[in-house]
Amino acid sequence: MRAGVIKGYMQKEFKDLVRTRMIYLVYLLPTMILLLFGYGIRLEVTGARTIIIDQDQSRFSKELIDKFTHSKYFNAKVLLISPNEGLHRIKQAKTDILLIIPPHFEQDLLHGQKSEIAAFIDGAFPLRATTMQGYVEGVILHAAKELAQRFGLRHPLITLNHRALFNQAMRDENAIVPGLIGLILLVAPALLSALLIVKEKEMGTIFNFYSSPIKKSEFLIAKLTPVFLLHSINIFILFLWATWWFEVPFRGSFWLYWVASELYVLISLSIGLLVSIVTNRQIVAVVLTLIITIIPGFLYSGILMPISSMVGESYIEAHIFPVMYYNHIIYDTFLIGQGLASMKNILYLAILTGYGALLLFIGALLLKKELR
Amino acid sequence: MASLEVDRVHIAYKNVVAVKEASFTADAGQIVGFIGADGAGKSSLFHAIAGVLRFRGEIRYEGHAYHSPKEAEPLKPYIGLMPQGLGLVLYPQLSVEEHLKFFANIRDIPQDKAFQEYKKKLLHMAGLEEFPDRLAKNLSGGMKQKLSLICTLIHKPKLLILDEPTTGVDPLSRRELWEILDQNRKEEGSLTLFSTAYMAEAAKMDKIHLMDEGEIIAQGSAKELIGSARPYTYQETHCQECITFNRRTYSLKPLSVPHAEPTLESLFFINALKKGKIPPPVEVLPRETQIDIPQIVMEAKGLTKRFGDFIADDHIDMQLRRGEILGLLGANGAGKTTFIKMLLGLYPIDEGELYLLGRKIQSPKDRQQLKSFIGYMSQNFALYKDLTIRENLLYFANMHRLPLAKASERIERLAKSLGFWDYMDNFPKDVPMGINQRFSLAAAILHEPVVLFLDEPTSGVDTIARAQFWQLLHKLKRIWGISILVTTHYMSEAQYCDRVVVLRRGKKIADASPKELERRFGTDDFEEVFLRLYEERR
Ligand SMILES: Nc1ncnc2c1ncn2[C@@H]1O[C@H](COP(=O)(O)OP(=O)(O)OP(=O)(O)O)[C@@H](O)[C@H]1O
Ligand SMILES: [Mg+2]
Repeated sequence: MRAGVIKGYMQKEFKDLVRTRMIYLVYLLPTMILLLFGYGIRLEVTGARTIIIDQDQSRFSKELIDKFTHSKYFNAKVLLISPNEGLHRIKQAKTDILLIIPPHFEQDLLHGQKSEIAAFIDGAFPLRATTMQGYVEGVILHAAKELAQRFGLRHPLITLNHRALFNQAMRDENAIVPGLIGLILLVAPALLSALLIVKEKEMGTIFNFYSSPIKKSEFLIAKLTPVFLLHSINIFILFLWATWWFEVPFRGSFWLYWVASELYVLISLSIGLLVSIVTNRQIVAVVLTLIITIIPGFLYSGILMPISSMVGESYIEAHIFPVMYYNHIIYDTFLIGQGLASMKNILYLAILTGYGALLLFIGALLLKKELR
Repeated sequence: MASLEVDRVHIAYKNVVAVKEASFTADAGQIVGFIGADGAGKSSLFHAIAGVLRFRGEIRYEGHAYHSPKEAEPLKPYIGLMPQGLGLVLYPQLSVEEHLKFFANIRDIPQDKAFQEYKKKLLHMAGLEEFPDRLAKNLSGGMKQKLSLICTLIHKPKLLILDEPTTGVDPLSRRELWEILDQNRKEEGSLTLFSTAYMAEAAKMDKIHLMDEGEIIAQGSAKELIGSARPYTYQETHCQECITFNRRTYSLKPLSVPHAEPTLESLFFINALKKGKIPPPVEVLPRETQIDIPQIVMEAKGLTKRFGDFIADDHIDMQLRRGEILGLLGANGAGKTTFIKMLLGLYPIDEGELYLLGRKIQSPKDRQQLKSFIGYMSQNFALYKDLTIRENLLYFANMHRLPLAKASERIERLAKSLGFWDYMDNFPKDVPMGINQRFSLAAAILHEPVVLFLDEPTSGVDTIARAQFWQLLHKLKRIWGISILVTTHYMSEAQYCDRVVVLRRGKKIADASPKELERRFGTDDFEEVFLRLYEERR
């Protein structure tokens, strides 16, 4: 490998990026997506109309009800109506949520027995319903935990999904913004690296690579390094947007966030490389890259659906794409902060490394210095 | 042992065979020519030799045998390939100087004093030393071509593969290019493979290969090849099963008229006769719309265009009369394309007055009204690569607001009479250059304009297609009464023009009929006329 050759080629890449104004896109696109979607997908629901039927009328049930009435997310009323009447009100769209606290609620809990609270949620808008469900579960869990502590109960009373569990403030930004970072860092570098190679194919300048003694490794380094460096800066920019603008808490290690993100950018640009090998036209490369990055990026980001609640094929698919591993790590760095103390994070970091190396290897193998 | 031995090289794409078992040898220090119709397989053969395309068979260069691009890799430091296509290997956003630097860098050439000297020499040869900082996208077509060429020469290749390097290059630069190649082979002992559509150029080569349908059908010196054409070449006459072009008639059967002296071009016509591919006569049907055309269709008074400090067109006066073919000639960068773009309103006019169809052009609105009377074909045939020929034509029809039924009818008529009906559903890249050229012309005349601006319509097009194209222009002129402004670097085409205007560095230096100019310089070779005209002003 000859440094002079790589440097020469790389200089050209940078000049081209700057003079074609592509550089703006490199920095505007990620920020735009983050702002657009960060505000766009507002899952947050406030003041959900809630009816609570308290059939126990105990200390426990009162405390639980308090949690609801003191939350801005609910507009809760305790009514003395029959469950059927309550259900009827949901049907009439006069209320969003109906909670029924069963008789002997307190007694059951104190005796260590399971007790079931019935929660009915208006499912007219599924996404909104899911959100409300998460809130309800969150509040109940929180209360249950408190009660358990206070009365020394041992059994976990309710199990909940990760998001509601760790996103205690129940702010949407906390849930969405880290997921968006995972999406953006998958899409943007892939797009750029695919374009940088396919553009040369389309224009014909790729002949300069084919017919000269440049080695494949030199070409790849010269092509991919600029993408890597430029998008490395995006890792910081996105971090600042998340923590300053969206005020997402950051509880974990910045180093872990940084290293995992660089690995992820590497994976992304390798995907772009693979796309550029099979396509000859820029427009095709763009569309293909978007399809293979955005769809899994969204599906397995945890924005739409927590991975843990996936079953069967989608569970397996989630494990095939790199998105899930990265997202796990960055949700951890933002919201939990276990860092390398968690074996899972270490394992996932290793998987990301292997993933990147494998894709890059395949790309280098498939890249040919010949016309086709 | 020859320096380069090509042994039964066979190249097939998905469903077409591009090169069939081609074999030839060449020695160091030679300049070896390849001529042939578009799509004959020259480029594919060159790509295989340059090690950028898969092939079957064997190629040996200086004793190193290779059968695939991979095996050719160790030879790449010694090879220089300039693929066909205007500025194909250039980066629009890099300057002239940056290109040379880039090509030196990727070849890992130390940029010492000797290199700087050589670079200066190359820049001078290409006439680019005045514009080291100009971006490639702002160069004229021919300047791009010359920049590509010197970028290919920068590492002094021992095996130089040039695929139509002189397409769109002016006669002066062609002569200088030839000197460089000659010097290169003497000093470096380089072997040069060279494909060209200029037969005068081919005549200077050590050996010529004539390719057709993937095969090398004849090889030898220019003299030998011309000799082989002699029995079939006659003085101009009329007959069945023969082709007449450029004052000669070609026939396989003996004719009663005396023989004429053939040229290398004759080979193409004779080959077409042998293969039974007599080009069908192109027809032009009367125009559907009738309009009154003024005596003077276009008049420019002191038209000027500046790019910063640089004056691309300097106070140019020009008239285009009704039913006239006016040739616009000039070296690369003389300002021909810029002039046409001003006429079309693609560049704003910095100074001067322009009258089109008797009306003074002052605002975009004036142009809008005249749009339907003007047809234009750009230097690189501005077609949409992702649309088929039919879709392209429909698109152009739509732009001129032709109703669909009428458009389809006209397209069919044009396609049939211009002879590209069989290619309607192909993509532009899959058909011969000559077909692209004719269908681009069809796109330009679809709306039946009264004036046509053609920018190098014949560059990169093979001999027969060019011959047909000129016949077509003459028929258009006669039957439609259309006026045509056309640029070209084929000086032999000047004789088909009623009048020529010659530009030099943005200034008009001649405006006369080709006959007059030939008389003035006492020669009937217009290339000679052109060179003398330029020297006069030096
Ligand atoms: N946008 C631009 N900016 C700066 N210079 C330009 C621009 N466009 C054209 N030029 C310069 O103007 C001059 C005339 O260019 P033009 O394309 O008209 O030449 P031409 O006569 O058509 O040459 P060719 O035969 O090579 O096509 C050239 O020196 C070219 O580099
Ligand atoms: Mg031009």
